[in-house]
Amino acid sequence: MRNVLRNLSRVLPYIYAAVAIVIIWQLAVIFTGAHPALLPPPLLTAETLIEMLLSGEIFMHAGISLGRVLSSWLLSATVAIPLGLAMGRFRPFEKVLDPVVELFRPISPLAWIPMAIIWFGIGETGKIFIIFIATFFPTLLNTVTGVKGVDPVLIRAGQVLGCRDETTLFRKIILPAAMPSIVVGLRISFGTGWAAIIAAELVAAQSGLGYLIADGMEILRSDLVFVGMAVIGILGVLFDSFFRFLHHRFGWAQ
Amino acid sequence: MTAKPEAKGLRMRGLDKTYNTLSGEEVEALKPVDIDIAPGEFVSLVGPSGCGKSTLLNILAGFVDPSSGQALVGNDPITAPDMDRGMVFQDYALFPWLSVIQNVEFGLERKGVGRKERRAIAMEYLGTVGLQDFATKQPHELSGGMKQRVAIARAFATEPSIIFMDEPFGALDALTRRFLQTQLLHIWQEHKKTIVFVTHSVQEAVTLSDRIVVMTARPGRFKAIIEIGLPHPRDFKSDEFRVYERRIYDELDEELAKTFDLEGDERPAK
Repeated sequence: MRNVLRNLSRVLPYIYAAVAIVIIWQLAVIFTGAHPALLPPPLLTAETLIEMLLSGEIFMHAGISLGRVLSSWLLSATVAIPLGLAMGRFRPFEKVLDPVVELFRPISPLAWIPMAIIWFGIGETGKIFIIFIATFFPTLLNTVTGVKGVDPVLIRAGQVLGCRDETTLFRKIILPAAMPSIVVGLRISFGTGWAAIIAAELVAAQSGLGYLIADGMEILRSDLVFVGMAVIGILGVLFDSFFRFLHHRFGWAQ
Repeated sequence: MTAKPEAKGLRMRGLDKTYNTLSGEEVEALKPVDIDIAPGEFVSLVGPSGCGKSTLLNILAGFVDPSSGQALVGNDPITAPDMDRGMVFQDYALFPWLSVIQNVEFGLERKGVGRKERRAIAMEYLGTVGLQDFATKQPHELSGGMKQRVAIARAFATEPSIIFMDEPFGALDALTRRFLQTQLLHIWQEHKKTIVFVTHSVQEAVTLSDRIVVMTARPGRFKAIIEIGLPHPRDFKSDEFRVYERRIYDELDEELAKTFDLEGDERPAK
Protein backbone atom coordinates (compact mmCIF):
# COMPACT_ATOMS: atom_id res chain seq x y z
CA MET A 1 0.00 0.00 0.00
CA ARG A 2 2.71 2.41 0.97
CA ASN A 3 4.59 1.49 -2.20
CA VAL A 4 1.56 2.22 -4.33
CA LEU A 5 1.21 5.61 -2.66
CA ARG A 6 4.86 6.40 -3.16
CA ASN A 7 4.72 5.47 -6.84
CA LEU A 8 1.56 7.52 -7.23
CA SER A 9 3.21 10.55 -5.69
CA ARG A 10 6.02 10.19 -8.21
CA VAL A 11 3.67 9.97 -11.21
CA LEU A 12 1.29 12.66 -9.97
CA PRO A 13 3.41 15.69 -11.04
CA TYR A 14 3.44 14.34 -14.60
CA ILE A 15 -0.34 13.98 -14.56
CA TYR A 16 -0.69 17.55 -13.27
CA ALA A 17 1.60 18.76 -16.03
CA ALA A 18 -0.32 16.85 -18.69
CA VAL A 19 -3.67 18.21 -17.47
CA ALA A 20 -2.30 21.77 -17.37
CA ILE A 21 -0.93 21.46 -20.90
CA VAL A 22 -4.26 20.14 -22.22
CA ILE A 23 -6.21 22.97 -20.52
CA ILE A 24 -3.94 25.70 -21.91
CA TRP A 25 -4.02 24.02 -25.30
CA GLN A 26 -7.86 23.89 -25.30
CA LEU A 27 -8.06 27.53 -24.17
CA ALA A 28 -5.70 28.52 -26.99
CA VAL A 29 -7.93 26.69 -29.47
CA ILE A 30 -11.05 28.44 -28.12
CA PHE A 31 -9.62 31.95 -27.94
CA THR A 32 -7.71 31.97 -31.23
CA GLY A 33 -10.40 30.09 -33.12
CA ALA A 34 -7.60 28.59 -35.19
CA HIS A 35 -8.35 26.21 -38.05
CA PRO A 36 -7.77 22.56 -36.99
CA ALA A 37 -5.08 22.31 -39.67
CA LEU A 38 -3.13 25.02 -37.84
CA LEU A 39 -3.90 24.07 -34.26
CA PRO A 40 -5.76 20.78 -33.74
CA PRO A 41 -7.97 20.65 -30.63
CA PRO A 42 -6.90 18.17 -27.93
CA LEU A 43 -9.90 15.93 -28.54
CA LEU A 44 -9.16 15.53 -32.26
CA THR A 45 -5.52 14.78 -31.44
CA ALA A 46 -6.59 12.18 -28.86
CA GLU A 47 -8.89 10.55 -31.42
CA THR A 48 -6.08 10.38 -33.96
CA LEU A 49 -3.77 8.91 -31.31
CA ILE A 50 -6.30 6.22 -30.34
CA GLU A 51 -6.91 5.42 -34.00
CA MET A 52 -3.19 5.01 -34.58
CA LEU A 53 -2.81 2.94 -31.41
CA LEU A 54 -5.57 0.60 -32.53
CA SER A 55 -4.22 0.27 -36.05
CA GLY A 56 -0.74 -0.27 -34.60
CA GLU A 57 0.69 2.39 -36.89
CA ILE A 58 2.10 4.38 -33.97
CA PHE A 59 3.89 1.31 -32.58
CA MET A 60 5.47 0.75 -35.96
CA HIS A 61 6.84 4.31 -36.13
CA ALA A 62 7.90 4.43 -32.49
CA GLY A 63 9.48 0.97 -32.75
CA ILE A 64 11.50 1.94 -35.79
CA SER A 65 12.75 5.16 -34.15
CA LEU A 66 13.58 3.33 -30.92
CA GLY A 67 15.36 0.55 -32.77
CA ARG A 68 17.56 3.07 -34.57
CA VAL A 69 18.44 4.91 -31.36
CA LEU A 70 19.04 1.76 -29.32
CA SER A 71 21.31 0.11 -31.87
CA SER A 72 23.53 3.10 -32.52
CA TRP A 73 23.51 4.06 -28.83
CA LEU A 74 24.85 0.59 -27.98
CA LEU A 75 27.31 0.77 -30.85
CA SER A 76 28.69 4.13 -29.68
CA ALA A 77 28.88 2.87 -26.08
CA THR A 78 31.09 -0.05 -27.13
CA VAL A 79 33.55 2.48 -28.54
CA ALA A 80 33.08 5.38 -26.11
CA ILE A 81 33.34 3.43 -22.83
CA PRO A 82 36.66 1.64 -23.53
CA LEU A 83 38.07 4.83 -25.02
CA GLY A 84 36.89 6.83 -22.01
CA LEU A 85 38.40 4.31 -19.60
CA ALA A 86 41.74 4.53 -21.40
CA MET A 87 41.63 8.34 -21.55
CA GLY A 88 40.75 8.60 -17.87
CA ARG A 89 43.51 6.27 -16.75
CA PHE A 90 46.44 7.17 -19.01
CA ARG A 91 47.42 10.83 -19.01
CA PRO A 92 49.45 10.82 -22.27
CA PHE A 93 46.55 9.18 -24.08
CA GLU A 94 44.15 11.82 -22.79
CA LYS A 95 46.53 14.64 -23.69
CA VAL A 96 46.59 13.52 -27.31
CA LEU A 97 42.89 12.77 -27.67
CA ASP A 98 41.32 15.50 -25.57
CA PRO A 99 41.85 18.36 -28.09
CA VAL A 100 40.34 16.21 -30.85
CA VAL A 101 37.30 15.49 -28.71
CA GLU A 102 36.95 19.13 -27.69
CA LEU A 103 37.02 20.26 -31.35
CA PHE A 104 34.32 17.82 -32.43
CA ARG A 105 32.10 18.09 -29.37
CA PRO A 106 30.58 21.56 -29.98
CA ILE A 107 29.43 20.51 -33.48
CA SER A 108 25.77 19.59 -33.12
CA PRO A 109 24.93 16.12 -34.44
CA LEU A 110 22.35 17.90 -36.60
CA ALA A 111 25.17 19.67 -38.43
CA TRP A 112 26.29 16.23 -39.61
CA ILE A 113 22.96 15.46 -41.30
CA PRO A 114 23.87 16.96 -44.69
CA MET A 115 27.14 15.05 -44.84
CA ALA A 116 25.41 11.89 -43.60
CA ILE A 117 22.96 12.13 -46.50
CA ILE A 118 25.73 12.82 -49.01
CA TRP A 119 27.88 9.98 -47.72
CA PHE A 120 25.30 7.36 -46.86
CA GLY A 121 22.13 8.40 -48.68
CA ILE A 122 18.79 8.28 -46.91
CA GLY A 123 19.09 4.67 -45.78
CA GLU A 124 19.66 3.38 -42.25
CA THR A 125 23.42 3.91 -42.24
CA GLY A 126 23.09 7.70 -42.29
CA LYS A 127 20.77 7.68 -39.29
CA ILE A 128 23.00 5.27 -37.38
CA PHE A 129 25.86 7.64 -38.11
CA ILE A 130 23.97 10.70 -36.77
CA ILE A 131 22.93 8.94 -33.56
CA PHE A 132 26.41 7.56 -33.12
CA ILE A 133 27.74 11.11 -33.05
CA ALA A 134 24.92 12.34 -30.83
CA THR A 135 25.43 9.60 -28.24
CA PHE A 136 29.19 9.28 -28.41
CA PHE A 137 30.36 12.38 -26.54
CA PRO A 138 28.13 12.26 -23.43
CA THR A 139 29.10 8.62 -22.85
CA LEU A 140 32.79 9.30 -23.49
CA LEU A 141 33.06 12.41 -21.33
CA ASN A 142 31.17 10.91 -18.39
CA THR A 143 33.35 7.80 -18.54
CA VAL A 144 36.50 9.93 -18.49
CA THR A 145 35.15 12.00 -15.59
CA GLY A 146 34.19 8.83 -13.73
CA VAL A 147 37.63 7.26 -14.05
CA LYS A 148 39.48 10.45 -13.17
CA GLY A 149 37.20 10.98 -10.20
CA VAL A 150 38.00 7.64 -8.56
CA ASP A 151 39.17 8.42 -5.03
CA PRO A 152 42.94 7.66 -4.96
CA VAL A 153 42.57 6.21 -1.48
CA LEU A 154 40.31 3.46 -2.92
CA ILE A 155 43.07 2.59 -5.37
CA ARG A 156 45.55 2.39 -2.50
CA ALA A 157 43.13 0.28 -0.49
CA GLY A 158 42.85 -2.02 -3.50
CA GLN A 159 46.63 -2.27 -3.73
CA VAL A 160 47.13 -3.29 -0.10
CA LEU A 161 44.28 -5.78 -0.47
CA GLY A 162 45.95 -7.70 -3.24
CA CYS A 163 45.30 -5.90 -6.56
CA ARG A 164 48.87 -6.28 -7.75
CA ASP A 165 48.69 -5.34 -11.42
CA GLU A 166 46.95 -2.63 -13.41
CA THR A 167 44.45 -5.09 -14.93
CA THR A 168 43.20 -6.35 -11.58
CA LEU A 169 43.09 -2.83 -10.21
CA PHE A 170 41.07 -1.77 -13.22
CA ARG A 171 38.61 -4.64 -12.99
CA LYS A 172 38.15 -4.67 -9.23
CA ILE A 173 38.42 -0.98 -8.28
CA ILE A 174 38.44 1.57 -11.10
CA LEU A 175 35.62 0.14 -13.20
CA PRO A 176 33.13 -0.33 -10.33
CA ALA A 177 34.11 3.03 -8.83
CA ALA A 178 33.50 4.80 -12.15
CA MET A 179 30.29 2.89 -12.89
CA PRO A 180 27.76 5.43 -11.56
CA SER A 181 29.27 8.11 -13.76
CA ILE A 182 29.24 5.79 -16.79
CA VAL A 183 25.56 5.01 -16.22
CA VAL A 184 24.80 8.74 -16.05
CA GLY A 185 26.63 9.15 -19.37
CA LEU A 186 24.55 6.39 -20.93
CA ARG A 187 21.34 7.99 -19.70
CA ILE A 188 22.26 11.43 -21.00
CA SER A 189 23.43 10.06 -24.34
CA PHE A 190 20.21 8.13 -24.81
CA GLY A 191 18.38 11.45 -24.39
CA THR A 192 20.57 13.27 -26.90
CA GLY A 193 20.27 10.33 -29.30
CA TRP A 194 16.50 10.33 -29.00
CA ALA A 195 16.38 14.05 -29.76
CA ALA A 196 18.69 13.66 -32.74
CA ILE A 197 16.89 10.72 -34.39
CA ILE A 198 13.74 12.81 -34.75
CA ALA A 199 15.72 15.52 -36.53
CA ALA A 200 17.40 12.95 -38.77
CA GLU A 201 14.04 11.38 -39.65
CA LEU A 202 12.50 14.77 -40.38
CA VAL A 203 15.00 15.21 -43.17
CA ALA A 204 15.45 11.78 -44.61
CA ALA A 205 13.20 8.86 -43.76
CA GLN A 206 10.21 6.83 -44.88
CA SER A 207 9.31 5.71 -41.37
CA GLY A 208 9.75 6.60 -37.71
CA LEU A 209 8.25 9.28 -35.49
CA GLY A 210 10.21 12.05 -37.22
CA TYR A 211 8.82 10.90 -40.55
CA LEU A 212 5.30 10.89 -39.04
CA ILE A 213 5.72 14.54 -38.08
CA ALA A 214 7.22 15.58 -41.42
CA ASP A 215 4.47 13.70 -43.27
CA GLY A 216 1.75 15.33 -41.12
CA MET A 217 3.14 18.73 -42.04
CA GLU A 218 3.15 17.98 -45.76
CA ILE A 219 -0.44 16.79 -45.88
CA LEU A 220 -1.55 19.57 -43.48
CA ARG A 221 -2.57 17.11 -40.75
CA SER A 222 -1.32 18.95 -37.70
CA ASP A 223 -3.08 16.38 -35.48
CA LEU A 224 -0.58 13.84 -36.81
CA VAL A 225 2.26 16.23 -35.98
CA PHE A 226 0.95 16.63 -32.45
CA VAL A 227 0.52 12.88 -31.98
CA GLY A 228 4.13 12.40 -33.09
CA MET A 229 5.33 15.07 -30.68
CA ALA A 230 3.32 13.67 -27.78
CA VAL A 231 4.68 10.15 -28.31
CA ILE A 232 8.24 11.48 -28.49
CA GLY A 233 7.74 13.29 -25.19
CA ILE A 234 6.12 10.37 -23.40
CA LEU A 235 8.69 7.81 -24.59
CA GLY A 236 11.50 10.20 -23.67
CA VAL A 237 10.21 10.51 -20.12
CA LEU A 238 9.62 6.74 -19.83
CA PHE A 239 13.14 5.86 -20.94
CA ASP A 240 14.70 8.49 -18.75
CA SER A 241 12.88 7.19 -15.67
CA PHE A 242 13.82 3.64 -16.64
CA PHE A 243 17.49 4.63 -16.63
CA ARG A 244 17.06 6.48 -13.36
CA PHE A 245 15.57 3.31 -11.93
CA LEU A 246 18.52 1.27 -13.21
CA HIS A 247 20.92 3.81 -11.75
CA HIS A 248 19.13 3.67 -8.43
CA ARG A 249 18.91 -0.10 -8.39
CA PHE A 250 22.40 -0.99 -9.61
CA GLY A 251 24.43 2.16 -9.08
CA TRP A 252 25.86 2.52 -5.61
CA ALA A 253 26.32 6.30 -5.66
CA GLN A 254 24.27 8.19 -3.14
CA MET B 1 41.76 -22.98 8.58
CA THR B 2 45.46 -22.61 8.03
CA ALA B 3 47.73 -21.66 10.90
CA LYS B 4 47.90 -17.93 11.49
CA PRO B 5 51.16 -16.47 10.18
CA GLU B 6 53.51 -14.95 12.70
CA ALA B 7 53.71 -11.18 12.94
CA LYS B 8 56.94 -9.82 11.49
CA GLY B 9 59.17 -7.05 12.71
CA LEU B 10 59.87 -3.88 10.77
CA ARG B 11 63.28 -2.28 10.35
CA MET B 12 63.99 1.16 8.92
CA ARG B 13 67.52 1.94 7.81
CA GLY B 14 68.33 5.53 6.91
CA LEU B 15 64.95 6.04 5.32
CA ASP B 16 64.47 9.54 3.92
CA LYS B 17 62.44 11.40 1.34
CA THR B 18 63.09 14.54 -0.68
CA TYR B 19 60.42 15.81 -3.02
CA ASN B 20 60.95 17.93 -6.09
CA THR B 21 58.31 20.64 -6.37
CA LEU B 22 56.99 21.86 -9.72
CA SER B 23 59.27 24.90 -9.56
CA GLY B 24 62.24 22.53 -9.27
CA GLU B 25 62.88 23.19 -5.62
CA GLU B 26 63.94 20.34 -3.41
CA VAL B 27 61.82 19.88 -0.32
CA GLU B 28 63.10 17.60 2.39
CA ALA B 29 60.07 15.89 3.88
CA LEU B 30 61.83 13.26 5.93
CA LYS B 31 65.37 13.11 7.30
CA PRO B 32 66.99 9.70 7.59
CA VAL B 33 65.19 7.63 10.22
CA ASP B 34 66.22 4.34 11.83
CA ILE B 35 64.20 2.10 14.10
CA ASP B 36 63.69 -1.57 14.82
CA ILE B 37 60.11 -2.53 15.56
CA ALA B 38 59.63 -5.93 17.14
CA PRO B 39 57.10 -8.47 15.88
CA GLY B 40 53.73 -7.80 17.51
CA GLU B 41 54.76 -4.37 18.76
CA PHE B 42 52.41 -1.38 18.74
CA VAL B 43 54.28 1.80 17.77
CA SER B 44 52.70 5.24 17.36
CA LEU B 45 54.07 8.20 15.45
CA VAL B 46 53.20 11.65 16.75
CA GLY B 47 54.44 15.02 15.57
CA PRO B 48 53.39 18.44 14.32
CA SER B 49 51.40 18.69 11.08
CA GLY B 50 53.55 18.29 8.00
CA CYS B 51 56.33 16.52 9.88
CA GLY B 52 56.38 13.63 7.44
CA LYS B 53 54.38 11.05 9.42
CA SER B 54 52.15 10.33 6.48
CA THR B 55 55.08 10.35 4.07
CA LEU B 56 56.78 7.76 6.24
CA LEU B 57 53.66 5.62 6.39
CA ASN B 58 53.25 5.85 2.61
CA ILE B 59 56.83 4.68 2.15
CA LEU B 60 56.28 1.79 4.54
CA ALA B 61 53.07 0.78 2.77
CA GLY B 62 54.97 0.84 -0.53
CA PHE B 63 52.95 3.62 -2.17
CA VAL B 64 55.95 5.96 -2.32
CA ASP B 65 59.62 5.13 -2.87
CA PRO B 66 62.13 6.51 -0.37
CA SER B 67 64.86 8.79 -1.74
CA SER B 68 67.39 6.61 0.01
CA GLY B 69 67.59 4.02 2.73
CA GLN B 70 65.53 0.91 3.13
CA ALA B 71 62.61 -0.50 5.06
CA LEU B 72 62.49 -4.22 5.70
CA VAL B 73 59.68 -6.48 6.83
CA GLY B 74 61.40 -9.48 8.32
CA ASN B 75 64.24 -9.71 5.81
CA ASP B 76 62.33 -8.52 2.75
CA PRO B 77 62.77 -4.94 1.55
CA ILE B 78 59.56 -2.99 0.90
CA THR B 79 59.31 -2.06 -2.77
CA ALA B 80 55.59 -2.04 -3.61
CA PRO B 81 52.20 -2.33 -1.89
CA ASP B 82 51.59 -5.87 -0.75
CA MET B 83 48.86 -7.79 0.99
CA ASP B 84 51.32 -8.76 3.69
CA ARG B 85 51.14 -5.14 4.88
CA GLY B 86 47.60 -4.02 5.64
CA MET B 87 46.45 -0.45 5.94
CA VAL B 88 43.62 1.41 7.64
CA PHE B 89 42.99 4.86 6.21
CA GLN B 90 41.62 7.94 7.94
CA ASP B 91 38.59 8.20 5.65
CA TYR B 92 37.82 4.46 5.85
CA ALA B 93 38.30 3.76 2.11
CA LEU B 94 35.52 1.17 2.08
CA PHE B 95 34.45 0.16 -1.41
CA PRO B 96 31.00 1.73 -1.72
CA TRP B 97 29.83 -0.69 -4.42
CA LEU B 98 30.31 -3.68 -2.13
CA SER B 99 28.36 -4.68 0.95
CA VAL B 100 30.01 -4.70 4.39
CA ILE B 101 30.86 -8.42 4.25
CA GLN B 102 32.05 -8.19 0.64
CA ASN B 103 34.42 -5.42 1.73
CA VAL B 104 35.90 -7.69 4.39
CA GLU B 105 36.06 -10.57 1.89
CA PHE B 106 37.82 -8.49 -0.77
CA GLY B 107 41.40 -9.28 0.23
CA LEU B 108 40.57 -12.91 0.96
CA GLU B 109 39.16 -13.28 -2.54
CA ARG B 110 42.35 -11.80 -4.00
CA LYS B 111 44.27 -14.36 -1.94
CA GLY B 112 42.27 -17.10 -3.61
CA VAL B 113 40.31 -18.23 -0.53
CA GLY B 114 37.18 -20.15 -1.59
CA ARG B 115 33.75 -18.54 -1.42
CA LYS B 116 32.44 -20.43 1.61
CA GLU B 117 35.63 -20.18 3.61
CA ARG B 118 36.14 -16.48 2.99
CA ARG B 119 32.56 -15.76 4.00
CA ALA B 120 33.16 -17.60 7.27
CA ILE B 121 36.45 -15.78 7.93
CA ALA B 122 34.93 -12.39 7.09
CA MET B 123 32.00 -13.11 9.41
CA GLU B 124 34.40 -14.04 12.19
CA TYR B 125 36.29 -10.74 11.86
CA LEU B 126 33.06 -8.75 11.61
CA GLY B 127 32.10 -10.45 14.85
CA THR B 128 35.37 -9.31 16.44
CA VAL B 129 34.40 -5.69 15.79
CA GLY B 130 30.79 -6.40 16.79
CA LEU B 131 29.25 -5.85 13.36
CA GLN B 132 28.10 -9.35 12.36
CA ASP B 133 24.50 -8.07 12.17
CA PHE B 134 25.49 -5.46 9.61
CA ALA B 135 27.11 -7.86 7.15
CA THR B 136 24.63 -7.28 4.34
CA LYS B 137 24.39 -3.50 4.75
CA GLN B 138 25.97 -1.07 2.29
CA PRO B 139 28.79 1.14 3.63
CA HIS B 140 26.74 4.34 3.25
CA GLU B 141 24.22 2.95 5.73
CA LEU B 142 26.84 2.91 8.51
CA SER B 143 28.07 5.65 10.83
CA GLY B 144 31.70 6.80 10.64
CA GLY B 145 32.71 4.70 13.62
CA MET B 146 31.10 1.58 12.17
CA LYS B 147 32.76 2.17 8.81
CA GLN B 148 36.14 2.30 10.49
CA ARG B 149 35.40 -0.94 12.36
CA VAL B 150 34.63 -2.58 9.02
CA ALA B 151 37.91 -1.20 7.65
CA ILE B 152 39.76 -2.63 10.66
CA ALA B 153 38.10 -6.03 10.18
CA ARG B 154 39.04 -5.85 6.49
CA ALA B 155 42.69 -5.09 7.30
CA PHE B 156 42.98 -7.90 9.88
CA ALA B 157 41.05 -10.49 7.84
CA THR B 158 43.86 -11.09 5.35
CA GLU B 159 46.28 -11.83 8.21
CA PRO B 160 49.02 -9.38 7.21
CA SER B 161 52.30 -9.32 9.14
CA ILE B 162 52.00 -5.60 9.80
CA ILE B 163 49.12 -3.13 9.83
CA PHE B 164 49.63 0.58 9.20
CA MET B 165 47.00 2.93 10.52
CA ASP B 166 46.93 6.52 9.28
CA GLU B 167 45.00 8.60 11.83
CA PRO B 168 42.23 6.02 11.74
CA PHE B 169 40.12 7.67 14.43
CA GLY B 170 40.87 11.27 13.46
CA ALA B 171 37.44 11.95 12.01
CA LEU B 172 35.46 10.42 14.90
CA ASP B 173 33.92 12.03 17.96
CA ALA B 174 35.63 11.56 21.33
CA LEU B 175 33.33 8.83 22.69
CA THR B 176 33.35 6.73 19.51
CA ARG B 177 37.08 7.18 19.47
CA ARG B 178 37.55 5.75 22.96
CA PHE B 179 35.30 2.82 22.11
CA LEU B 180 37.25 2.04 18.95
CA GLN B 181 40.58 2.32 20.78
CA THR B 182 39.42 -0.33 23.23
CA GLN B 183 38.22 -2.54 20.41
CA LEU B 184 41.48 -2.12 18.50
CA LEU B 185 43.45 -3.08 21.62
CA HIS B 186 41.38 -6.26 21.94
CA ILE B 187 41.93 -7.27 18.32
CA TRP B 188 45.60 -6.44 18.52
CA GLN B 189 46.06 -8.48 21.69
CA GLU B 190 44.14 -11.39 20.18
CA HIS B 191 45.91 -11.44 16.80
CA LYS B 192 49.28 -10.01 17.83
CA LYS B 193 49.97 -8.00 14.69
CA THR B 194 52.73 -5.44 14.42
CA ILE B 195 51.01 -2.06 14.23
CA VAL B 196 52.38 1.33 13.18
CA PHE B 197 49.86 3.96 14.13
CA VAL B 198 49.87 7.64 13.15
CA THR B 199 47.88 9.97 15.37
CA HIS B 200 47.53 13.60 16.42
CA SER B 201 46.25 12.66 19.85
CA VAL B 202 48.83 12.21 22.58
CA GLN B 203 46.24 10.57 24.81
CA GLU B 204 45.42 8.07 22.09
CA ALA B 205 49.10 7.28 21.56
CA VAL B 206 49.68 6.70 25.29
CA THR B 207 46.52 4.59 25.58
CA LEU B 208 47.51 2.23 22.77
CA SER B 209 51.24 2.06 22.25
CA ASP B 210 54.18 0.04 23.45
CA ARG B 211 56.43 2.79 22.14
CA ILE B 212 55.79 6.31 20.92
CA VAL B 213 57.98 8.00 18.34
CA VAL B 214 57.91 11.80 18.59
CA MET B 215 58.87 13.42 15.30
CA THR B 216 60.38 16.85 14.79
CA ALA B 217 58.92 19.67 12.71
CA ARG B 218 59.67 19.49 9.00
CA PRO B 219 61.92 18.05 7.83
CA GLY B 220 60.81 15.25 10.11
CA ARG B 221 63.17 12.97 11.92
CA PHE B 222 62.80 10.95 15.11
CA LYS B 223 63.21 13.27 18.07
CA ALA B 224 62.46 10.87 20.89
CA ILE B 225 61.31 7.29 21.27
CA ILE B 226 59.43 6.76 24.48
CA GLU B 227 58.54 3.37 25.89
CA ILE B 228 55.20 3.24 27.69
CA GLY B 229 55.64 0.83 30.58
CA LEU B 230 52.00 0.63 31.65
CA PRO B 231 49.86 -2.53 31.58
CA HIS B 232 46.61 -2.61 29.62
CA PRO B 233 43.90 -1.44 30.13
CA ARG B 234 45.39 1.97 30.86
CA ASP B 235 43.53 4.56 32.86
CA PHE B 236 43.97 7.95 31.24
CA LYS B 237 43.05 9.63 34.53
CA SER B 238 45.86 7.94 36.47
CA ASP B 239 49.00 9.82 37.51
CA GLU B 240 51.40 7.48 35.66
CA PHE B 241 49.43 8.04 32.46
CA ARG B 242 49.58 11.78 33.00
CA VAL B 243 53.34 11.66 33.48
CA TYR B 244 53.81 10.01 30.08
CA GLU B 245 51.40 12.41 28.48
CA ARG B 246 53.26 15.40 29.90
CA ARG B 247 56.61 14.06 28.69
CA ILE B 248 55.33 13.74 25.18
CA TYR B 249 53.66 17.14 25.25
CA ASP B 250 56.96 18.68 26.39
CA GLU B 251 58.75 17.12 23.44
CA LEU B 252 56.00 18.21 21.08
CA ASP B 253 55.77 21.77 22.37
CA GLU B 254 59.37 22.44 21.37
CA GLU B 255 58.57 21.26 17.86
CA LEU B 256 55.36 23.24 17.66
CA ALA B 257 57.26 26.37 18.66
CA LYS B 258 59.70 25.68 15.81
CA THR B 259 56.84 25.24 13.37
CA PHE B 260 55.40 28.61 14.32
CA ASP B 261 58.83 30.23 14.13
CA LEU B 262 59.23 28.92 10.59
CA GLU B 263 55.90 30.34 9.61
CA GLY B 264 56.79 33.64 11.30
CA ASP B 265 60.00 33.91 9.30
CA GLU B 266 58.15 33.59 6.05
CA ARG B 267 55.86 36.50 6.66
CA PRO B 268 58.21 39.51 6.28
CA ALA B 269 59.63 38.07 3.04
CA LYS B 270 56.32 38.52 1.23
